Formats: sequence, C-alpha cells, structure tokens
Amino acid sequence: MTLKRMTFLQHLLDFMGLAGRLHLEWISSAEAQRFVATVTGFTETIRRLGPSPLRSAALRRYDNISAAPVPCSGPASLQPPAMPDSGIQIANG
Amino acid sequence: MTSIQQQVHTWLEEGRVDIFLAYRMVEGHPLPHAFTRERIDETDTLVTGPARYSLEKFATHIASRYPDAKIGMVARDCNQRALNVLQVWNQLKPGQVDTVPVNCCPSLLKPHADCSYLEPKPAGHVKLERGQDPNQSLAQADTLPRAERFDRWMYEFSKCIKCYGCRNICPVCFCKDCSLEHPDLIGTGHLPPDIPIFHLVRAVHMAGRCIDCGLCEDACPAEIPLRLLYRKVNAIVKDLFGYETGSGDTLPPFSILGDKPTMSPQPLLAVSQE
Amino acid sequence: MDLKFVPSICSYCGTGCGVLFEVLDGELVGTLPMKTHPVNHGKLCIKGWNLHEHVNSPLRLKHPLVKTFGRFTKVDWDKAIGVATDRLKAVIAAHGPDSVGILVSAKMTNEENYLAQKFARAVIGTNNVDHCARL
Ligand code: SF4
Ligand code: SF4
Ligand code: SF4
Ligand code: SF4
Repeated sequence: MTLKRMTFLQHLLDFMGLAGRLHLEWISSAEAQRFVATVTGFTETIRRLGPSPLRSAALRRYDNISAAPVPCSGPASLQPPAMPDSGIQIANG
Repeated sequence: MTSIQQQVHTWLEEGRVDIFLAYRMVEGHPLPHAFTRERIDETDTLVTGPARYSLEKFATHIASRYPDAKIGMVARDCNQRALNVLQVWNQLKPGQVDTVPVNCCPSLLKPHADCSYLEPKPAGHVKLERGQDPNQSLAQADTLPRAERFDRWMYEFSKCIKCYGCRNICPVCFCKDCSLEHPDLIGTGHLPPDIPIFHLVRAVHMAGRCIDCGLCEDACPAEIPLRLLYRKVNAIVKDLFGYETGSGDTLPPFSILGDKPTMSPQPLLAVSQE
Repeated sequence: MDLKFVPSICSYCGTGCGVLFEVLDGELVGTLPMKTHPVNHGKLCIKGWNLHEHVNSPLRLKHPLVKTFGRFTKVDWDKAIGVATDRLKAVIAAHGPDSVGILVSAKMTNEENYLAQKFARAVIGTNNVDHCARL
C-alpha cells in the first residue's frame, strides 16, 4: 500500500513540476551500508535540486514562467480573441 | 408526451421506482426536480437538460435517509460513471438506482449539455501566459520544463478562494469529516489556503474515484483547471495499476492490499541541472 | 419521501448569486449554485455554499430579545419596540442625534434598507448609516 501510494505521489508531484524530492526505500536493520548509501544519495540529490521552489512560491514569485504564451491546444474556435491594444503595459511580475 | 416522459410515467405508476430525478423548466431555468407517484402528472414537464446537476448526489441523500427507496434518474455517461463509483464505495446499494440513459449531445450543431467538454471555454490571455490552459491535453501539460510547470500550477492554485465548491459539487466526495477542513492538515484563516497542499490532498483523494465529470471545474470561481489535474491523477492510476475509474464494480487500487507487491520502488532520480 | 429544489438568491452580499436549495422532507439539507443563473454561472463563494447552515443554526435569532440586568429575555414585538424607542429617545435627548448609528444589512430587501436609512436621516436626524456589504 505504501509502495502504491508513494509511487502514485511521485508521479503526481512530477506532473506538478516537483520531481525527485520524494523517495521510498526498504532497508532492514542489518543493511547499514545500504542505509548510508541511500541517505547520502538522497541528500546529494536534494542538494543538487537546490532549495525547494515552494519557498519562492510562498513569496508569490513565479519567475520560471516564460513570457511567450503557450499555444492553445483546442480547435481554432477555442483560440482566444485578439486582445485590443489598450496601450497599457502590464508589468510581468 | 415524449418517450422518456412516457417511460418515467410508467415506471412511477408500476412502482418500479419511488422517486425519479430529472429536470424541468422553472422560469426559464432547467432545474433538477424529483418526480413522484403522488404528483405523477408532473411527468409531462420532464426535460433531460440542458443544464447538468449531480443527480446521483441527491440520490445518495435520499438513500441515506430511506435505505430501501427505489430511485430512478436520467443519466448521462458521467452520471452513470458516478453511480458506479458510489456503489463501489457503498453509498448506494447495487440496483438501487434505475437509470434512463440520455444523450449528452444529440447533435453536433447544438450541444445539449453544459459539459465543459462539449462547450469548452477558450482560455484568456493571462491564463495562457501565466497559468495552465484547461483545454490542453495531458501530454501537452507534461511538455513544459519542470520549473515552469510548477510555477504555472502554483499561479493557478494561488487564486483559490477556499470556497470548497470543488468538493461540495463533486458527486464522489461524500466524507462526513473532510480532510480539507482538518486544521492540522490544512492551515486555517488565510487565503489562498495552504497551496499546493489543499489541491494536492484533494487530488490524491480523487485517485480511483474521480469520474471526470468536470463539475468541479465548472463550479470553481477561480477557474482553476481542476479537471486537468484530476485527469492526470487517474491517468497515473490507470498507468500504474491498470484501474479504470468509474468503469465497473471493482474496488480502486488504494482500497485493497493486493496479494503481492508487483512494483518496485522508483530509483533515486538522477537529476540533471534543468 | 419528498425532495424539492427551490431556486432562490443568496442573501449574504450584494452580488446576488442564484442558489438552489435542496429540501428533503421539508428540511433544508443543502445549497447548490444555480447553473444557468446569469449572475454566478454555477459558482458560489463559501458563504453561499453554506446558506442552509445559517438557516438551520441553533444560534439563530427567532424572537425579539431585550437585555435587562445583563441577561436576554424573550419579549413580544410591542414590548421590544417600546424599549428601543424609549432608549433611543433618551440617548438622543442626552447626546444628540449623531450619537446614534444605524447598521443595515444585505440580508434585507432593497426597500427595507431604504426605509432604514430614511429612518436614520429623517426620523433620528443622523447620517450615520452603514452596511455590511460596504467593502
Ligand atoms: S471531475 Fe471534479 S466533480 Fe467530477 S468526479 Fe472528478 S473531482 Fe469530482
Ligand atoms: S476532499 Fe477528500 S476527504 Fe474531503 S470529501 Fe472529498 S474525498 Fe472526502
Ligand atoms: S472550487 Fe476552486 S476556489 Fe473553490 S476551493 Fe475549490 S479550487 Fe479553491
Ligand atoms: S454566494 Fe457569495 S458572492 Fe454570491 S451573493 Fe452569496 S455571498 Fe455574495
């Protein structure tokens, strides 16, 4: 059950853009070596990933959104209408 | 009398059902209505759409008060899937609800229901630039770089006003004590609520349960693409466990232990600097 | 077994969202947004979603109450209005009309709110009128 849930959650978090920060491993009390290797490996992974993006999100800074709009996937009828040029500049931040 | 009106009339008369849930027009609004034997003449006014309410949710309310009631309702595909799930989760007894299947979309020119699939709303400019387009496919939502994906989802979640509309309208959300209201799980007293936890908790609960009816996304005043998120949830459930939510009468993968683990844990992620 | 759906308007704020009450055996058991209502298009805020709870709340005021010696006592309307009039008159006589303020509510009709401000301005003689939806 744990395995099912964790695997599911790993996929879901990856979809949201948070990958590699959740890990599951079974280690018996006799496997000291494996414990050390896993913890070291996971610490390394986390260090390489850097601080959690949740921190900057808490400050409501979404810096990684590219300015270019994503093309809408639906049929042409779903494309948004062209925006009239109001002359107002919307600050992107 | 249309054939459906005739059929409901007969069902009520013969006692096949005690109460029949469908719609009728009230002051120009299609509203749900419960047809009964005592007021059988009302079946003349029965319509099957175009609005869509969660009739199966009303059926569970009746069933919790009258466990032996025989309930009938008009059912689109999403209603039928929801009924399957509600039976699996013991909210309705098998065979308790009799359905008259109706079409969502009788003609290509005139969509019948207000389902977000049939009449999708185009996403606006700000949403395309900063958020997640609800009309995109799951594959498309996966193509953006992780960091951008994350920021776009967080932008969407940050609009949440914690109205609980997504949970209240959902035909398969029926818990007495909802996790979303537990102060130890979701902090209280601020807006937006704890993101992304609020939305992820609900997303996790929808695994093996959400039947992709889209009512939550319709009801969300902040226009958060919830349906897209839950579609991903059940795509994962299908990929990992081969379980198709709403399809039949088997229990979802998280509620049974299974005989033997057939999966192995994911290896540590070798992360390249994205 | 009697299930009814009653369309209505949310009374919590000036937006006026369309709601649908789910009435099972004469008891209000749920509130839903009205999908086709032009104001809210099937959406509600948390106040609208919980309308049935304030109708069923045991804390709801159902009778006029008068506070005497720190305790509320149930009285009839004539008595309650009489007490209110006496106290208002006394306060106005002692401190002037601007010592009185009138709070009206989104839970009343337009006409009742109009009447209340008229009462404040014309009868009492103050401009101290406020409203819960003056956000
Ligand atoms: S689409 Fe939304 S409302 Fe429908 S079952 Fe899934 S979570 Fe519930
Ligand atoms: S959000 Fe989760 S806990 Fe709350 S009602 Fe839905 S399934 Fe139950
Ligand atoms: S319906 Fe939308 S705004 Fe309301 S609680 Fe759900 S996600 Fe938040
Ligand atoms: S549902 Fe909310 S926004 Fe709508 S009228 Fe009621 S209080 Fe106002």
